[in-house]
Amino acid sequence: MDILQSFGVKPILLLAQAVNFFILLVILKKFLYKPVLKVLDERRRKITESLKNADEIEKRLEQIGEDREKKLQEAARDAEEIIREATQTAGVIVAQAHEKAAADAEKIIEKSRQSLELEREKLHQEVRSELADLVVAGLEKVIGKTLTEKYKKETVEKSLHEIG
Amino acid sequence: MEIAIAAETITHIGPLPLTNTLLLSWIVIILLSVVAFIVSRQIKMIPNRLQNIFELIIEVSYGLTEDIAGFRAKVFFPFIMTFFLFIITGNWLGLLPGFGTIGFWEGSGSKATFVPLLRSIDSDLNTTLALALISAIATHFFAIKYLGLGSYLKRWVSRNPIYMFVGILEIVSEFTKIISLSFRLFGNIFAGEVVLATIAGIFAFVVPLPFYFLEIVVGFVQAAVFMMLTLTFMAMLSEKHSGSE
Repeated sequence: MDILQSFGVKPILLLAQAVNFFILLVILKKFLYKPVLKVLDERRRKITESLKNADEIEKRLEQIGEDREKKLQEAARDAEEIIREATQTAGVIVAQAHEKAAADAEKIIEKSRQSLELEREKLHQEVRSELADLVVAGLEKVIGKTLTEKYKKETVEKSLHEIG
Repeated sequence: MEIAIAAETITHIGPLPLTNTLLLSWIVIILLSVVAFIVSRQIKMIPNRLQNIFELIIEVSYGLTEDIAGFRAKVFFPFIMTFFLFIITGNWLGLLPGFGTIGFWEGSGSKATFVPLLRSIDSDLNTTLALALISAIATHFFAIKYLGLGSYLKRWVSRNPIYMFVGILEIVSEFTKIISLSFRLFGNIFAGEVVLATIAGIFAFVVPLPFYFLEIVVGFVQAAVFMMLTLTFMAMLSEKHSGSE
């Protein structure tokens, strides 16, 4: 123990330094290690979370982009389809209209022809009856007497027939 | 210039002789506590510079402790880290100007001795021995805590003559651990003080600078060595021992 004496070691000083160390230990543990380790852990957790979130966001963004692309393509296809259909329908409608117009025109022409025919027929008849009257009158003048009804009719028919 | 091996006593507080190294220990404690308090007061997720420094120190040390001690890191860490901070702060403070030079003369005439007011904490065997004892006691306490008393005793005592002999060697080595821990730290720092004082005695300007640089490195290395050795001792002794089963 002489050696220790010459180094100035005293139990009370040893104890004092040991107490000092423990005081420091307690203070640093409470005010330095615990808060710092806690904040380090927290930060690590937060970074991990953020990175995971970033990954997810990126994935989702990619998916959204893909979706949009798909939707755009779909829309383009739909539009094309619609246009084609519209063109087709328009063609059909135009054709139908054409047909109808042609038919209408035909009908109108037919009608007018019929009415013309009718008119002509009527005219014809009129002319004929007038002509017959004339013929009868002429004959009466030539013959100088009134013809019997029966003869009159026969002759007129005959001559009209000859005229055509 | 003569440097006493024993720390000089400044005054007495009751039965406690207030040595210059004890005074510096108090200063170290106050300094570290104030810094710790400041850090804990303004601790944030986005750290400022001070918080950054301590985060760096603590993260590296905690990683080291976890690598060596595994799941026991949480329990060992406060001891390891406090050893390091206490020792390195004491060592580096001891290099500041004024240490060992500001003081007073005690006694009179040719018997008068110079008593510096401040002296590096680890240039006093009291401090280093206290630290080594705490390290040893804590190591054994943790060993009992993690192994249980029976399994802990098996390391030292065995009926098998070979293991009994090994056990005795182990017991001796435990004491040498204390001695080597305390004298290594004390010797290095004390020798550093002597070197600095001697060089400054030869020529006080510029020449001591390389030695100051050396002492800064030594102060860090010794703190790291003390911390690492304590950590490995703690991890080794509280590990399940397969040799003596």
